[in-house]
Amino acid sequence: MNVARALEGVGIALDSIRSNKVRAGLTILGVAIGVMVVIAMASAITGVNRSITAMLESAGPKTFFVQRFFQGGLNISDGSDELSPWRKNPWITVEDAELVHQLPLVQDVSVSEGTEGPVSYEDISLKGVLIAGFGPSWVLVTGGEIVSGRTFTSAEYAAGAHVAVVNDKLAESLFPRGVDPVGKRIRVFGQPFTIVGVHVEAASLFGGGDQVRMAMPHTTFVKVADYRKGWMDFSVLPVASATSLEAQEEVISALRAKRGLKPMQENNFAVLSQDKILDSFNNITAGFFAVMVALSGVGLMVGGVGVVAIMMISVTERTREIGVRKALGATKREIMFQFLVEAATLTVVGGTIGLALGALIAVAIRSNTTIPASVPLWSVVVSLAASVVTGVLFGLYPAFRAARLDPVEALRFE
Amino acid sequence: MSEPIIRIRDLTRHYEMGTETVQALRGVSLDIGRNEYLAIMGPSGSGKSTMMNMIGCLDTPTGGEYWLNGQEVSQLSDDQLARVRNKEIGFVFQTFNLLPRATSLHNVELPLVYAGVSSRERRSRASAALGRVGLGNRMDHRPNELSGGQRQRVAIARALVNEPSILLADEPTGNLDSTTSEEIMQVFAELHRQGQTIIMVTHEADIAAHADRTVVLRDGKVETDRATHGVAA
Repeated sequence: MNVARALEGVGIALDSIRSNKVRAGLTILGVAIGVMVVIAMASAITGVNRSITAMLESAGPKTFFVQRFFQGGLNISDGSDELSPWRKNPWITVEDAELVHQLPLVQDVSVSEGTEGPVSYEDISLKGVLIAGFGPSWVLVTGGEIVSGRTFTSAEYAAGAHVAVVNDKLAESLFPRGVDPVGKRIRVFGQPFTIVGVHVEAASLFGGGDQVRMAMPHTTFVKVADYRKGWMDFSVLPVASATSLEAQEEVISALRAKRGLKPMQENNFAVLSQDKILDSFNNITAGFFAVMVALSGVGLMVGGVGVVAIMMISVTERTREIGVRKALGATKREIMFQFLVEAATLTVVGGTIGLALGALIAVAIRSNTTIPASVPLWSVVVSLAASVVTGVLFGLYPAFRAARLDPVEALRFE
Repeated sequence: MSEPIIRIRDLTRHYEMGTETVQALRGVSLDIGRNEYLAIMGPSGSGKSTMMNMIGCLDTPTGGEYWLNGQEVSQLSDDQLARVRNKEIGFVFQTFNLLPRATSLHNVELPLVYAGVSSRERRSRASAALGRVGLGNRMDHRPNELSGGQRQRVAIARALVNEPSILLADEPTGNLDSTTSEEIMQVFAELHRQGQTIIMVTHEADIAAHADRTVVLRDGKVETDRATHGVAA
């Protein structure tokens, strides 16, 4: 019975939207924008979240990172009175990495350092190629796969051999289609290198698949590259029998001992577990969410004020209809319900339009960036619920006015 | 006469117009029996509109009693009155008052919606009511696709669909030409013959002449109350 009346209210609302398109459109614009913002941002954040998770997973769930300082979050000045406390931190060195590599709970260590530089092949030369120096197990840490050839060996690493692994984009830029880059000789920082493999990156937030990149042994990198020193870091893979936390503790005490830190002194380096990276990322997204909620709240408020306006007009226009309905036996509650359903229908239509626009934005983000944005179910539920609540809340006063009309007066209304 | 369907005693209705009090009804007493066909007449300002609002339970009296189908309704709340209107009274208005965007069928179903009738039963009862007024073939038309007479027939079907105790018509032919008016009066006569109690408010003597009994109001009181001979049917 109530369903019949609700459907009738929905029908009336759709009718009045159809017959007053501009008016209704302006009314629901605010709601549509509010919902669009929520959906678009929720999709983007979901996508970023997913790519961070994927990136961390590709490195193995127990792998953690040792850096000069924690550069992953908003709270970098935590515990310090200076703006840039990391300036005091000494560089992370290859010796640090080698020391850590000797620890019993550590299975593998992969150093990483990068810069931009020139790469050329015959008469093609590129500037600004992202050039990284890695340890031999780098593919395990960064993810992605070698699609042709191989990566450099431990022997080549130890020897500082002039071998390079290019990514697919760099290969496309240097060589014509159909030419196998493996075995070709290129110049990097003016030095001759032999390409031993082609690497394709895992789709990830930072691995921007459309950039030209190449990797070489870190030992070679420090000899040939022109780069800003002091920003090396390394990743640590614990042995199978140890937890990530146990290995982290071991690494921390070893580095503290090497650097001669007293028990009261803080670490002058940063150990980043995946939990910590996720935490700091969640801090950032919490900020985004707050802004998002505020923005969409404003949109819904504007939409709500529009709902009050359009519903007041609707009640006045249909005074006689209200009189007729009352004469035919509609109670106050039923009239009120009808107009509340009508108001909620308006806002839900707005919300649905916003949903569609937000989803389009998500698709645009997904196809134009590396962020795998997708609309999370909860955001659909939340925004539709918010639309209904807005409609009902702002429809209350007009609906109350309609319900209160005296049937005799209403029937006499011209 | 058996137990009357309407029993009105000393009914008064005052309106406050600014500082002035208008006495629209000054003590009306009236019994209306089942299956009566009654016309209420009177010049403007006689109180006949107020009377029609009282009988239709759209308004409550200042004083007096109103028994409708065995229930004292003069002291009921707004929502109780809505229920009484839904169950006991079928309204026919001068301007038809159909919902413009709804089909005939949907318009006729409306009282059943408020009565809480299931959609299947609504549909069958509404189409039966439209059949009774000869519009079985116009169920999916909207009011603007119908002639004035057809619109008023839809309104009559809507008034009948809940099987009300009384059919209450307010100037039912006021917006119709004389030929169409005559058609509507034929419909009323047929309904009356089938046992429907009809109360019609009109200022036109030739329309009132269709009724069996005519009550004339003047200055908020019953002036005359006499039997007439239905000329129709």
